[in-house]
Amino acid sequence: MTDAVMTEGGRNAAGRLRLSPAEHRRLARKARLRRELTGWMFLGPMFLCFVLFLVVPVCGTVWWSLRTGNIASGTSFVGLQNFYDLPGVVGAGSAIANTLIFAAISVPLILVGALGVALILAKIRHGGSIYRFLVYFPVLVPGVVAALIWLFLTNVDFGLFNNVMKAFGAYPVTWLGADSALGVLAVLDVWRNIGYWAMFFVAAIIGLPTELYQAAELDGASTWARFRYLTLPLLRRIIFFAVIVSTIWGLQVFDTALVLTNGGPGTATTTVIYRVWLYVFASNNKVGFASAISLVLILVILALTLVQMRLLRDRRGID
Amino acid sequence: MAVEAGTGRVAPAELRRSAVDHARARRASRRRNELLRHLALAVITFILVAPFYYVFLASLKNATEIFSYPPKLLPFPPFFGNYKKLLFDTGFLRWMFNTLFVAGSVTTLKIFLDSMAGYALAKIDMTGKKVVFLAMLILLMVPIGALVVPLWALMSSFGLIDTYAALILPPLANPLGAILMRQFILGLPKDLENAARLDGLSEFGIYWRIVLPLIKPGLVVLAVIIFTDQFMSFIWPLIATTSDELQVLTVGVAALRAHGGANYGLWSASAVMSLIPVGVFFFVLQRQFLARSLAGALKQ
Amino acid sequence: MTATQPAIELIDVGKHYGSVSVLTGVNLAIADGEFIALLGPSGCGKSTLLKLIAGLEELSGGEIYVGGQLANYLKPSDRDVAMVFQNYALYPHMTVRENIGFPLKMRGLAKEAIGEKVQAAAAFLQLGAQLDRFPDELSGGQRQRVALGRAIVREPLAFLMDEPLSNLDALLRVEMRTELVRLHKRVGRTTIYVTHDQVEAMTMANRIVLMHKGVIQQVGTPSEVYSRPANTFVATFVGSPPMNLFQGRVDSAGGCRKFVGAFELPLDGIAASEGTATLGIRPEQVQIVPTDTPQALGATVELVERVGADSFVVSQIADGVTINARVDGARQVREGDRVAVRLPAAELRLFDAAGRAVD
Repeated sequence: MTDAVMTEGGRNAAGRLRLSPAEHRRLARKARLRRELTGWMFLGPMFLCFVLFLVVPVCGTVWWSLRTGNIASGTSFVGLQNFYDLPGVVGAGSAIANTLIFAAISVPLILVGALGVALILAKIRHGGSIYRFLVYFPVLVPGVVAALIWLFLTNVDFGLFNNVMKAFGAYPVTWLGADSALGVLAVLDVWRNIGYWAMFFVAAIIGLPTELYQAAELDGASTWARFRYLTLPLLRRIIFFAVIVSTIWGLQVFDTALVLTNGGPGTATTTVIYRVWLYVFASNNKVGFASAISLVLILVILALTLVQMRLLRDRRGID
Repeated sequence: MAVEAGTGRVAPAELRRSAVDHARARRASRRRNELLRHLALAVITFILVAPFYYVFLASLKNATEIFSYPPKLLPFPPFFGNYKKLLFDTGFLRWMFNTLFVAGSVTTLKIFLDSMAGYALAKIDMTGKKVVFLAMLILLMVPIGALVVPLWALMSSFGLIDTYAALILPPLANPLGAILMRQFILGLPKDLENAARLDGLSEFGIYWRIVLPLIKPGLVVLAVIIFTDQFMSFIWPLIATTSDELQVLTVGVAALRAHGGANYGLWSASAVMSLIPVGVFFFVLQRQFLARSLAGALKQ
Repeated sequence: MTATQPAIELIDVGKHYGSVSVLTGVNLAIADGEFIALLGPSGCGKSTLLKLIAGLEELSGGEIYVGGQLANYLKPSDRDVAMVFQNYALYPHMTVRENIGFPLKMRGLAKEAIGEKVQAAAAFLQLGAQLDRFPDELSGGQRQRVALGRAIVREPLAFLMDEPLSNLDALLRVEMRTELVRLHKRVGRTTIYVTHDQVEAMTMANRIVLMHKGVIQQVGTPSEVYSRPANTFVATFVGSPPMNLFQGRVDSAGGCRKFVGAFELPLDGIAASEGTATLGIRPEQVQIVPTDTPQALGATVELVERVGADSFVVSQIADGVTINARVDGARQVREGDRVAVRLPAAELRLFDAAGRAVD
């Protein structure tokens, strides 16, 4: 192939190239195509799943949030009506409120607790691994099972909490009453997630430069001062990351609410995803409202994700 | 804690003595602090672990013992009726099998899908990969729970509701694995694949013979993340299956709670039995489990 | 392949990433069996050029011929070249034996044949005892040998080496240098050797290709590049300390051509046209002579660097203009001395306004 072009006329306008520009273009295109094809062979399968089971459903949520009816017998377009009606629909407002309150209680407790545990755990010299093991264990308990376990803690008659209260001579408490159920649910979440973030913070703390601490100690900084002026600022981004991610997780609460309290008493612990499930799968078929409320949740999560990505990009810019 | 440094002028002998004192005081305070830390951690872990023991106790009690006060703190003589009932009168073993089968399938499939996608995202110069990666980052946190309506519609239009496929396919969409694998593969030295390319390996050969063996630690962490997430997943299996034979552990256990009245003995036994695989798995792969938390830091 | 056909030929090769140009207009023909050094400062494009030849990067323009065959669109493994990487790029999960045998295995050779070739290469490289170890159990020098072994078992048309010695300590580097030369003599294959170390290039190569900012500055034997630098970049990059350069202009007023700058110097026998010019001379050609020598420039010694056999004498010949001279180490010159320097006309190099050598 090359010989054919290596004739007298081979010295073309491009200089001393032996192949014509057209031939080069053709071959380059072929090589490029082969590379693209290889790339998509690798990315394709995962990408297909990603599109089919994540991108399409997200679009589907938008689509159905603008419609009313039920999936089986057909839906019709209603524009933004679902969103206008949402505040008035049974349970929608309380579901959003419950979810926000739940996150507002559980996230700070989880993170403050986890940071405290991590600060102690990171400094311990001997036997740290057994504590890590035990602190982390609740993390691996499925929500359903965790809720079952908490039934045994919160039971009015024989629950662990009331047995402890009785041992101290106090009156038993109705833990899953209308006023306290959401709080108990949040504390359950603290129990389940504190280990995860504690290990996360331990890793971050161990990674901090020790020279800084030695210097601070020489400067006479107390333990509190070292925490306040070194650890906290150095972990600022890590902590921010934890706040965003644990909030996103908190907004998804469902299985513990279903098993521990059945969303009750009344609607006291009915959360957003719980409400979606009720709208569509448990009782009446309200696809439009279910999608609308799902979309609100998705948008909030996307907003939080974008804040997080923005933050990481900023960090990259500085480093 | 920090021992105050001596101030003012001191005679050399005095200085030496005080230095020794300082060192001794410092050692003592170190020991005291270590002890305090152990004490604090012991209390914290006790609080975190006590519920497990309380439920374990309840599972070995009969109905009247569960309600008795003060509670029996040692399970003796143990009552095995709850476990017998759980194993023989409910679908527990079937649920357990379903969970392990589904989680195992998802994990196996995803290890390959994600590592291949990660390879393409990290190493192959192709159009559109930046957009794909950005889309994956943006949708990373969208939970399956917010997508149950369209997912259900999609799966039922495929006629897959109430099949294993319905349980296995949607979780494959999670982009976390591909993002993590991209990160891991980006960390491999570029010249290694170049050497392999010159040695005659195809693109797939490089992935299979060079990249996969070298990111094995990352693959194990990914497998642990996927498996535990699947083990814990609830809302999608709840919606995707209707028949008893296809219920996974979480759905089955939730059904025990929802139907057939209060049966605390059975509930406690099911809670304990559900934790066995977690416990075993965790014990074997402790290090990788803890790396789950670290993987969070890689989510960029 | 005919005897006169180059082993590797580059025609108008260019490479750019987006709007950033890394290589432009690279033309080079490398004869079979030649040891070529690509020399230049970091970022000059020499490694990119090597990768283009290997097929690890895609050309933006031009043609590359390997063994007479157009290689632009060939896979790296089909180009019949082997590469030794700066960080060795050994497969960490394979033993030395597997590492060296890997390219043969990929070419579908029989097990026994691979075994034999690996044994032979290992014997040649004195790796016999390390064959069943993993790369992370080897010393830097041993890893280097394994990387070489992996290249030579393939018996390729050409070896491409990307700064292969830069990760070794100074002593080992000198040792491996002689070993590479020995290897080249023994195997006789074309070798393209990328380095930023002029000593490596000067001692090992048959020809040096000097690169700067993605453009070839000069191609020549080590002595050509040293004594007849093609431009001011080469003059300063090659040689340590670099060539003395003086800014000025060529003036032919009054019948005789002379260089006018910080000092004036008649230019006998140099065909220079008038205009801005740079005058250059190697330090070892600068003579320090008694102050009463005719045609010498008066100077004050500023600094004497004694490096053993030689001394480098930096003297001021005009305000802010110094000249570096290499003299015998035994010679007594002290800082502050008044001396005279003589620049022999035969050793002067003149560069035009663009920095190109005037010949």
